[in-house]
Amino acid sequence: MRKWAVLVTQQPPKSKTCKTSGCLHRIKYVQKNKEKDSGNMERAPAKGVLSHLSLLEVQARSRKSQLQQQSRVMELKAKVEALKTQREQLKAQIQTHQDLQKLRLAMEKQCADEEEENMEEESENSKLLRLMARHTQLKDLLHAHHLIGGYDIIKTRKGKGACVSIATAYEDVFLDTFNLEIDLKPTVKINRHNIPPFIPLNNLAEQNNMQTDLRVFLDTLSQHLNAFAGRKQQLKLVKEKHKSVEVMESNVLCSLLVLLFTVPGEKTAVLCTLDYTDHTRCLPTRVHLESEDKQLPDSPQWEKNCSLLMETPVHKALITMKKMGSIV
Amino acid sequence: MGSMDNTAKRLLQRLVRRIPSQMLKTTLDKWSRLTAAQRQSMDYAESKWALTEKLLAICEENELTVKHIAELEMIHVIENPNLGMWYVFQLMDPQDDAHSVELTQFKEQFKSHLSELIRHVSIKIKKHTDEAVWIRIAWGDTFSRPNHLKPTYVVHYLQTPYVFLTSPTSKQKPLLSQALVLSTRYQAIKDANLSGRKLTAIRDLLMKQYLQVFPTKFPSPLAERNCVVSNLHIEKEQAGSAANRHQMACEAFGDGILPQLQSAVYKLETKFRDHTNKTMTERDEPFKCVVKFASTNLLESLRHSASSGVTSTPVTPLLSSVPLKGKNYFVITDNGPGPSSQMKPSQK
Repeated sequence: MRKWAVLVTQQPPKSKTCKTSGCLHRIKYVQKNKEKDSGNMERAPAKGVLSHLSLLEVQARSRKSQLQQQSRVMELKAKVEALKTQREQLKAQIQTHQDLQKLRLAMEKQCADEEEENMEEESENSKLLRLMARHTQLKDLLHAHHLIGGYDIIKTRKGKGACVSIATAYEDVFLDTFNLEIDLKPTVKINRHNIPPFIPLNNLAEQNNMQTDLRVFLDTLSQHLNAFAGRKQQLKLVKEKHKSVEVMESNVLCSLLVLLFTVPGEKTAVLCTLDYTDHTRCLPTRVHLESEDKQLPDSPQWEKNCSLLMETPVHKALITMKKMGSIV
Repeated sequence: MGSMDNTAKRLLQRLVRRIPSQMLKTTLDKWSRLTAAQRQSMDYAESKWALTEKLLAICEENELTVKHIAELEMIHVIENPNLGMWYVFQLMDPQDDAHSVELTQFKEQFKSHLSELIRHVSIKIKKHTDEAVWIRIAWGDTFSRPNHLKPTYVVHYLQTPYVFLTSPTSKQKPLLSQALVLSTRYQAIKDANLSGRKLTAIRDLLMKQYLQVFPTKFPSPLAERNCVVSNLHIEKEQAGSAANRHQMACEAFGDGILPQLQSAVYKLETKFRDHTNKTMTERDEPFKCVVKFASTNLLESLRHSASSGVTSTPVTPLLSSVPLKGKNYFVITDNGPGPSSQMKPSQK
């Protein structure tokens, strides 16, 4: 927007030190002189009149600057007042914040000590403070939850819905994030999501009473998704880092893995089946070994390998097995 | 008479005609039914007719049969799944052991169940690297041998409820359904009302393998967009509402490259609603009509229409149901939500 310059003309106040009357008088005198000398044009006292006019101009100007200085002083005084009010407001905010912190510490201590709650009559103010303290407590809790890789939850559609983001990670590496948009009213219902179809979402919702206990449902879902991400990552690492081991069978859920090992020297092959029937875990529930050499799976070395595969993630177990010389 | 009968010859001719010359070499190598010398002797610069004759001779030499040619066809189809028309079916009510069905078990069960249901049938099952189980079925009946010229292809990912089929006929469907239900340990199967030319697209849609947009507290930084600013003031006026529309469009359909669907069909069985036409509105029966949206990439077209303001935002559930429910065939009635394929009509 163009700023329109506003011309403000100010009336000069009548100053007691004004010499106008004297000057006017002098001008009149000068004019009278002029009239007297009307016949003689060469002797016009132009210099006197002009110098007087310029004197008047200077005086008028100094009056104006005085005025400006005065209005400036008023401006600054007003600003000082405004800043003082702001300072008071900020002081009050700091005080409230400090009170809130004290209240939160007291609340947390109270929870830890499991004391009986103070049933005194509380004023509206302290009730409000208590609520605010609880609010900040929950916000910090949610933020901490997000930082440790737990799920995020935010309100959508003015409280009628929520959106949950579940992060997955394995071995200190963040993997995929899954999202669920949930309707909260009238009933808790999953609206849309990007969870793959081999995760039994509807089953989990039913079994964990999503309607009444959303947290339990989300915790279980997070377990399933993290375990799936972990198993998927293990398979990826096996394919990348262990090219000598052939992946014979796998599935989209990564709940079954069949690997073909080659025994060094003897050129026998060992078929290893890893069943991950517990979909909330990254480790197999069953390890089965088969070989053309029927004695091999029962040998002490391979029994050790079997328990290794049960207790260690497969990509790490293979490293150990290679070191021990069990496999190529 | 060699090992290659008429059907085998016709199948081979059709295949060589279909497969582009550049691809023929790789496909034949994958097939690995030719010796090194035979492979060397093929000159892919020759005409298709010449190549067919050459190949026929080699097949006779190796005593290959129609079953081997069927293998070759299967390799070609697996490599090029986006030609032809695919229909999706959904398995319902899994039994307790549905989640632990593994490949060998599935293969045996499917073959045995289908062979029990139909006397002459040729089944080939192959597992692809992306965990998909491919099945090629040549149908015969009590009196005739399997017809390899009109096979049905089935694709299934174990532990998911979806099955993708090419051209199922009404006679074959119930037999196929029965075999699938029994071998996957589910209790029923139904039409999922999704179809398309590109298998990869409908698969990605159902497996949620495309970029979906959700409201989040920690949004990722926006990609830099090179927009040419013609008039600074006009741009700023529109920027807010344009960004809002874009966000809603992306939340409804997704971000980035979307799976390529070719059409969406709405079968309307709703009453006629234009008040200026009394004759039509006075009728009791619903006004039956079919609305079809077609595009080379339907989802991207719909998203663009929402973000550019052609269709109103928030996006109507009629359109957003396509990716949300993974369907592109809807029956709309006035009675509100009925069976899963029905929806409430939009408010005017």
